[in-house]
Amino acid sequence: MLGYEFMQRAFWAGGLIGLIGPLLGVYLMLRRQVLMADTLSHVSLAGVALGSVLHWNPALSGFAVAIAGGLVIEQLRRSYRTYSELPVAIIMTSGLALAVVLMSLKQNLAKSFSSYLFGSIVAVSDTQLKLIAVVAAAGLLYFIILRRPLYSLTFDEETASIGGVRTGLLSFSFAVLTGMTVAAAMPVVGVLLVSALIVLPASIALRIASGFTAAILISVGTGLTGVYAGLTASYYINTPPGGTIALILLVFLLTVMALQKMVRRRSRRKLHHSQTI
Amino acid sequence: MILSSMRDVVFGYGNEPVIKGLSLDIEAGQFIGITGPNGAAKTTLLKLMLGLLKPWSGTVTLNRELNGAGRPVIGYVPQQVASFNAGFPSKVIELVRSGCYARLGLFGRFSKQQEALVERSLRQVEMWEYRNSRIGELSGGQKQRICIARALAQQPQVLVLDEPVTGMDAASRSGFYQLMRHDVTSHGRTVIMVTHNLGETSSYLDTVISLERKEQEGWTCLVTNSCSVHFGQEA
Repeated sequence: MLGYEFMQRAFWAGGLIGLIGPLLGVYLMLRRQVLMADTLSHVSLAGVALGSVLHWNPALSGFAVAIAGGLVIEQLRRSYRTYSELPVAIIMTSGLALAVVLMSLKQNLAKSFSSYLFGSIVAVSDTQLKLIAVVAAAGLLYFIILRRPLYSLTFDEETASIGGVRTGLLSFSFAVLTGMTVAAAMPVVGVLLVSALIVLPASIALRIASGFTAAILISVGTGLTGVYAGLTASYYINTPPGGTIALILLVFLLTVMALQKMVRRRSRRKLHHSQTI
Repeated sequence: MILSSMRDVVFGYGNEPVIKGLSLDIEAGQFIGITGPNGAAKTTLLKLMLGLLKPWSGTVTLNRELNGAGRPVIGYVPQQVASFNAGFPSKVIELVRSGCYARLGLFGRFSKQQEALVERSLRQVEMWEYRNSRIGELSGGQKQRICIARALAQQPQVLVLDEPVTGMDAASRSGFYQLMRHDVTSHGRTVIMVTHNLGETSSYLDTVISLERKEQEGWTCLVTNSCSVHFGQEA
């Protein structure tokens, strides 16, 4: 399988996205912004369509539009503090509407869009792999260097601000990184499932982690396992990688939930048994 | 030394001002209580003092001489902290250690002194034995205490507490007031605390700012001891 160049590219791309996506997911979940990934993937799709219509590189235009979308959402989040989910809904529908209209402007565009919608192993081009590598490196540096202010910001924005964290700048840079990650992940998992790769590993981690560092390590570990298992399965059974990766991560989540339930039941039974003795 | 100076401050929500023409000087190195009934704009006053809210008109100045030429280090424990991020996957000790981040910066290493400070802060609020617990597993009062420990670990020059004893029992509350009094007297820290229970706290406080509503005048601000405050034109 790894003898093929396109599979090598897919494994590199998947590994890098499997590293940065779940890491970002932990912060997105804790900041109650899980739908932001979904929204930005729709916005990015509009960027891809725009690039195709204007004969620009679709990967780069999708990337730029996703970043712009992230910044707009962050700005709107500040304006609609009471209804923080509203900007996400506005941008998601706007992005999708724009993508649909732009797609209709160019014949034969809809066909190539299926690889963006559902992800395709062969869709990972050299340009995209380079973009993914840059995003993953930038994201890792971002999360390592700013881990302390990000922790404070994620726990409570108001306290962080009073404590001297530049919360505005940090939130905007976080929105930019989210846009970059979502746009980079699109060729691997597809627009419709990009949030699965970002959110599912984090939701597993938040269920079982004992601390913050543990949550990040579990999320990244789960994401990488899911991506590699999904890419391998999709190669052998010829299924779209996005759906396969998402389903495998879903199985992980259901297994963890079932195991937790079993452990809880067993400990209750033990307690009951010791009380009756 | 004056810590915070407000001049002719007007602020409100919607179209209605809740604070009109307030001028107030807060002295550094005091234990100050802000009290008043629900809706008296106590938290609003705190947030204005800290620069979290911008006044419609007037000025708010924080004295930078307390911390060289920089902004004073401020520790803050918000109202109803127990409801914040209960699902945050953090151990108690991780959260309290984060109080040191402001002084450590991005790359400063945790020294033995810092570790000792974290331990002392947790012991002061009687939460050291819970250091490895997940914060989501704690009761409301315990969550409140670890947020206070986090603020103490910050070694703030100014500690701002918005109803900090919510959920604590009587003995814990008394211990907490004594701890704050000791910090002010022995370490020169300024503590500003919103409280509903003046009867319980007045013996520990240097200054009380009471926000009251009067039939004809609307909200007024009465101050005992050394803060100077005026509503209206005169500063």
